[in-house]
Amino acid sequence: MPSKPGWRGGLLKALYRTSIASFTLALSCLSAIAEPARVMSLNLCTDQLAMALAAPGQLISISFLSRDPMLSPLSEKATAYPINHGRAEEVFLERPNLVVTGTYSLQNTTPLLKRLGFRVEEFSFVQTLDTIPGEIRRMGALLGREERAEALARSFETELADIESRRCEARPTALAYEQAGVALGRGTLADSVLAAAGFRNLASEAGIEGMAPFPLELIVEQKPDIIITRAGEEDAPSLGARVPHHPALRAFSGTRIGPFVPRGAWSCGGPFVIQAVKALAALREEIAPCGEAR
Amino acid sequence: MRPLALNALLGLLALALFLASLAVGPAELGPSESVRGLLAGGSEAAAVIMREIRLPRAILGLAIGFTLGISGAVLQGFLRNPLAEPGIIGVSAMAAFGAVAAFYTGLAGSTLYALPAGALIGALLAVLLLLALAARSGSTLTLILAGVALSSLSGALTSLVLNLSPNPFASYEIIFWLLGSLKDRSIEHVWLALPLMAGGWLLIALSARAIDALSLGEEAAASLGIHMARTRLLIVVGVALGVGAATAVAGTIGFVGLVVPHLIRPLTNRLPSRLLLPAGLGGAALLLAADVAARVVLPAGELNVGVLTALIGAPFFLWLVVRSRREVF
Repeated sequence: MPSKPGWRGGLLKALYRTSIASFTLALSCLSAIAEPARVMSLNLCTDQLAMALAAPGQLISISFLSRDPMLSPLSEKATAYPINHGRAEEVFLERPNLVVTGTYSLQNTTPLLKRLGFRVEEFSFVQTLDTIPGEIRRMGALLGREERAEALARSFETELADIESRRCEARPTALAYEQAGVALGRGTLADSVLAAAGFRNLASEAGIEGMAPFPLELIVEQKPDIIITRAGEEDAPSLGARVPHHPALRAFSGTRIGPFVPRGAWSCGGPFVIQAVKALAALREEIAPCGEAR
Repeated sequence: MRPLALNALLGLLALALFLASLAVGPAELGPSESVRGLLAGGSEAAAVIMREIRLPRAILGLAIGFTLGISGAVLQGFLRNPLAEPGIIGVSAMAAFGAVAAFYTGLAGSTLYALPAGALIGALLAVLLLLALAARSGSTLTLILAGVALSSLSGALTSLVLNLSPNPFASYEIIFWLLGSLKDRSIEHVWLALPLMAGGWLLIALSARAIDALSLGEEAAASLGIHMARTRLLIVVGVALGVGAATAVAGTIGFVGLVVPHLIRPLTNRLPSRLLLPAGLGGAALLLAADVAARVVLPAGELNVGVLTALIGAPFFLWLVVRSRREVF
């Protein structure tokens, strides 16, 4: 029998949709029944979502990383919460009703906590701008704060759509250059932020998936209009942080090198990413104003 | 082989590999474009790639290889120990620890000068400690075992300091310090390390006559008018300057100083002083070749050059131990 990929794909899609719908329904029923009173977050990125959404007193602890100004855009707000180091013992002593964490971090802690009978919800952090409203709504449903989540997700979507609508033909080239000469390519949050702000990401165009080294020589050849370095590494030196300051990059004119994105703004897919999109869109407008391109 | 012919041959080999190092890189520049970029004219990109990226790397490969080769030769002659080499006896590892301790703790801000300063102190401490040990017991084995202990200790301390750094990316740099690399070095690194390395070469060259006399034994050397304390000082400071500066900019690169003197010794008249220059040139050729290979084998990610020198050197070391088992143990 000849295969019918179209038909099969349609069925799969329909199944997928119904399962998502029933899943959301189940979640909202669940939260309507029992809104967790004590929530613990073990991951920098779930911290951001939870701090933005939780009711007063609901979030009892966040990860210690959220207080690190190098990583967390909310480091000041984070001082208001008790901190944890993501250890199973800490969770056990606090007896939370819900634990939120990332799928990528603490791979050993999560199964242990589940075995101990805790309710653990994991958030995937391989994500782009498109997935963020969904993550906000999911966290809202988990915390029983759907209304606030819906408002936050809506405003994120509106702001993003507004910035995206102002893109034009002028698309300067950019490179998000991390420590030790690693560039952020296709499928990363940074890639989708660059696209939304109206930049071409040279790393993606070079075929880089995720994060991979981008040789200095190729940067010199391709001369990106901007190179975005990581913000805030003056306090703790490392050799990798010096790579974007190699004399070869300073030797040719016309490329702007700098952090450009507020500290920690795109380390996590949360509501705060919109700050990175705004900052880069403003920079793009400054480098290549849309009026002139036409 | 006549010394002049040997030196000319090794010099030409090092020169050829120096040019090969200039020709290899991820940006595919043609030969004429490379030459124009290096000397004058050519496109801006070619000029920047050749002058700011490839030239510093090739100069460092040459100078660091020379330093490691000449240091291995002088240590083997002075200690009369066939297995002595800056990497094996722990001088490189201590230099790396010194550099890491000075740089990552941020004591000196994030200035690059912290690297050679720390590395020189580390290397000096290691050489002094090892010479004190060697003076007490003439056994080849004691020195090597002390070197093993010193290398492990400083490797562990290096990892510790990098893990304790508040910068979460510092711990990724452990591999650089344990298995060095010449990736993304710049002309700043050349100015930082080359003068110190050249000073080291000079001091080692000044000790040449003394190590020849020492091959007859210490008493015979003294009767020939050799000043032991002065010789020791020249070699200690010379090796510490050279290896310290090399390690500060390229991490720990092992085994070059072991392999090269052994390969070249049969071609000389076996006087330790006659080995110094050829061992330096041979070391330069070996490191440049390894650095070219590191870029060709894994073009995207680039291999650490210390991995390649260890792959060549460690089996050689084992073979030396097996061959000379009777003398050593």
